[in-house]
Amino acid sequence: MRGLRSALAVSLLLGLLAAAPAGAQDRVKSKEVVIGLGAEPRTMLAVTIVDWTTNTQLEHIYDRLLDRDPKTLRPKPMLATGWRIVNDTTWEFTLRQGVKFHNGEPFDAQSVKATMDYLKNPASKSHYAAYWRLVKEVQIVDPYTVRLVTEKPWPSLIDRASLTDFLVLPAKALRELGPEKLNQHPIGTGPFRFVEWRRDERLVLERNPDYWAGPADVARVTFRFIPEFSARMAALLSGEIDIMKDVPPHVVEAVERSGRAKIRAAVSSRINYLALVNLKPGPMQDPRVRRAINHAVNVDELIAQVLKGRATKICGPLSPANVDYAPVECYTHDPQRAAALLREAGHDPAKLQLTLDTPSGRYPLDKDVSLAIAAQLQRLGIKVNVVVNEWGTHLDKIKNRNTGDMFFLGWGPAVFGQGVIEPLFQANQTYSSYGNNPLINEKIAKAITIVDPKGRAAAYAELQRLAHEEAAWVPLWQQHDLYGVASHVEWSPRADEKVWMYDAKVVAR
Amino acid sequence: MKKFLGVGVTLVTLVVAVAAPWLAPHDPLRADLVQSLKPPGTPGHLLGTDQLGRDLLARVLYGARLALFIGGCTVLLTAVVGGLLGLVAGFVERWPSAVLMRIADVQLSFPFILLAMTINAIVGLGLRNIILSLSAAGWVVYARVVRGEVLSVKQREYVHAAAALGVGRARLLFRHVLPNVAPSIVVVASLQFSQFIVAEAAISFLGFGVQPPTPAWGSMLSESRDFLYVAWWLAAFPGAALALTALGVNLLGDWLRDRLDPKLRV
Amino acid sequence: MRAYVASRLVQTALVVFLSLTAVFGMVRLSGDPVLLFMPMDIQAKDVNEFRERLGFNDPIAIQYGRFVAGALRGDFGESLRYRRDALALVLERVPATLLLGGTALLLTLAIAVPLGVVSAVHRDSLLDHLGTLATVLGQATPGFWLGLMMIYLFSVQLGWLPTGGRGSLAHLVMPSIVLAAFFAARIARLTRSAVLDVLGEDYVLTARAKGLGEARVIGKHTLRNSAIPIVTLAGLEAGQLLGGAVITETIFAWPGLGRLTVQALLNRDFPVVLAAVFLISVLYTLINLAVDLLYGWLDPRVRLR
Repeated sequence: MRGLRSALAVSLLLGLLAAAPAGAQDRVKSKEVVIGLGAEPRTMLAVTIVDWTTNTQLEHIYDRLLDRDPKTLRPKPMLATGWRIVNDTTWEFTLRQGVKFHNGEPFDAQSVKATMDYLKNPASKSHYAAYWRLVKEVQIVDPYTVRLVTEKPWPSLIDRASLTDFLVLPAKALRELGPEKLNQHPIGTGPFRFVEWRRDERLVLERNPDYWAGPADVARVTFRFIPEFSARMAALLSGEIDIMKDVPPHVVEAVERSGRAKIRAAVSSRINYLALVNLKPGPMQDPRVRRAINHAVNVDELIAQVLKGRATKICGPLSPANVDYAPVECYTHDPQRAAALLREAGHDPAKLQLTLDTPSGRYPLDKDVSLAIAAQLQRLGIKVNVVVNEWGTHLDKIKNRNTGDMFFLGWGPAVFGQGVIEPLFQANQTYSSYGNNPLINEKIAKAITIVDPKGRAAAYAELQRLAHEEAAWVPLWQQHDLYGVASHVEWSPRADEKVWMYDAKVVAR
Repeated sequence: MKKFLGVGVTLVTLVVAVAAPWLAPHDPLRADLVQSLKPPGTPGHLLGTDQLGRDLLARVLYGARLALFIGGCTVLLTAVVGGLLGLVAGFVERWPSAVLMRIADVQLSFPFILLAMTINAIVGLGLRNIILSLSAAGWVVYARVVRGEVLSVKQREYVHAAAALGVGRARLLFRHVLPNVAPSIVVVASLQFSQFIVAEAAISFLGFGVQPPTPAWGSMLSESRDFLYVAWWLAAFPGAALALTALGVNLLGDWLRDRLDPKLRV
Repeated sequence: MRAYVASRLVQTALVVFLSLTAVFGMVRLSGDPVLLFMPMDIQAKDVNEFRERLGFNDPIAIQYGRFVAGALRGDFGESLRYRRDALALVLERVPATLLLGGTALLLTLAIAVPLGVVSAVHRDSLLDHLGTLATVLGQATPGFWLGLMMIYLFSVQLGWLPTGGRGSLAHLVMPSIVLAAFFAARIARLTRSAVLDVLGEDYVLTARAKGLGEARVIGKHTLRNSAIPIVTLAGLEAGQLLGGAVITETIFAWPGLGRLTVQALLNRDFPVVLAAVFLISVLYTLINLAVDLLYGWLDPRVRLR
């Protein structure tokens, strides 16, 4: 019996100790913000691994050459105060003066050159080497002027420079400490300094009081890694975290009702689409079938019923958040027209069988959207077999052209035309579903080299029209990024998916 | 008590599994977006609906079918393969026995569930592959038990006598030894059955194994996590069905062991 | 004795080596390891360049040779995902898993042994029936479902406990209970039958006849003698706890070995998978060896050879 009693005592004790940890109240005083993300960063080294989660955290430590306006997504100054085109293959950047890295090392042209050298060095195994392949050399004109010389005209250079593709490393520290040390203790010019990274648990940063644009309002930023949505949600509602990423549409109401947090949404530049695969034999070879599917899928219904209105419909391959966007007309939802087109192409809708591949949990309600699309096509009599894949398998299948007739995919951040059109509409690209159209190939090759803004706009407008005509996809929507934000934090998400805490304010309520 | 509950619950599950198409009020795959996330007790949907408006009762009933199918196939496969290997290893003592025991050691150096999951992650997802992975991880138990039994049966006099009379090896194996080890196989099979069902559910829950939209209890539970805040029933009913089935089959296995082979340890 | 331990260790090494070979063979067949680590908008030839550089284009025999040569030095390569030494990444997670497993084991014993003893001593009483019911239910309830229901009740509805992660003691409560539940049920059942066996033995009857108090009879004579099967099973279960930890850690986002293994499998992070397999099979066989030794020590009749 004594055993029983002590067991009881132990469980009681555990119950008492279970009281909530240091709560939101203390964090208001100390101006600390805790953000719940789904995954941890993969490295602390800048310009090494392309990964959204990694970079959104690293950007607090490192600055980029250029920023993007959170509203218009146009490039704007950051570590570079200005830029100009010297000639077709030379870009010149004027650098900000008086900026210091967290270790006191000054930022100058050497930092830019060292960063480019690091990422282009094969030993660094940096993903970014591929993005910057066209850059031949970095010329230092004076300590605060650098030139990037490219092999051929490359108008999208400025887009690359304002993404996360150029987080600037300290030249001297890189040389003296080496990448391994910097990975353990990153040094940047950013608004926050590294404190500690406990793997699979949290990354802690503290305010950089000497930040060139003025210190942030938030004194301490903690990223906590909570993979499960329901766990993140509970953490938000119990005050363990202040900002929660990826609130699913069906609990938006529950968050608002809780009184502890509010929903903040941004229309993301990331798009979701249903690829109609013409790179393998099957009914999708015929543009009439692809158009029929476009008429049969009711995107508005999917948005309303599955995503509870939390998505913005798109009609072509680029969204309005993309700088190269040109409007195209939507395919109307018209089942009769769809059936007629199918018959015209020689298919009896009632006998047509299609396969749709979808990932699960990668994009908002991806699997459920796919199943709902199947249900919509079923109304015409088309039998759709939905195959749910693990993410790695999904990528393998797309790469090996082993998917069914259709597959679900998301793409982003999709802020400039080349980044969408080039990899997704040509047969020789890894994740393409459509290709072998000589006209489109030729237009793409041309569009990506046009430096003149007007010519570029016209070229991308034509490509968007062609993609629409060819019905290469059923374009679905721009994702809405939904965040739960505790009521004592003032912060709004951005279209480029950055969780940028420099903009956040902690207010006492 | 054991007998009553074990046989009773198992029988009910079996009936449900076989009769699912007649018992289920709806097609378990049919989505009806307008009817999504209805709570239990909604007219026409006794246990409520899921995020796509699919009827939960139908999905739970069909889930029984899938669970028993996977459990049954796996038990059959492991019993036949493991049993045969055990027979051979017990009979032909020299190197086949050594090799078999070495393989068994390798497998037993790893927790069962982790082994099955690893194999499944590698051979790929889906119904057929989960049966194969569970079998690949589970046959060892039979091989060990059967080999042990064979070794002891072989010492018995009638086997010696039969061998002395010039009865062929194969004949000896199947006529004299097999009937003697059969009860052990039956007991191990019944005890393994519920382990396989729960393991399948666990693996599907972790994202391997059977994938949606197939109504497997494990993957239904996995999906339910996203809706825990708004629809508790999606997690409660498939899990309860799984626990109840495991309970019945466990009791049945216990009872069989008490009856047939009380000394057996698995 | 020493020879026994030595031969068991050699055997362990062989078994670990064989299982690594098997897993190596299997992972190489499971798909392209590189795609998952690369940005999606990168050109196919750049992806191939990475594959080349990481050695995935070499013949499988060469890759295997390289792997064995590395593994012998404790070098399992770099995690594809995190670009860090795979074994170090795995070793970092061991304390968390040991903490969870150890707590669960203590909890198991604290619940199961008293429950089993009480059931046996008051055989066929209401208490015994309730105890049996609890153990039967405990054994049948899948841990991941129990975990899910507890999260729903204690975190979502009541807000008493955090849903997951590591930190305060509160974070440890649900995972260790879920992990302990299944094993407690098994051990309680075993304790009950072991105690029943011993209660029927002559020396217990003698002790009773001598007029020793019931507490002494149970505490001294019975418990001690029924310890052997209990310890054996507890030891065997300690190994199985590692398997249970995979699921529990995943549900409760506990940063341990099991969760890392599941993630590495999903991400095809092969060096990490292999390092984890290595560590788990070593841990597992060592636990089993320790149990065998303990068994021999408790019961001198058992001779180890």
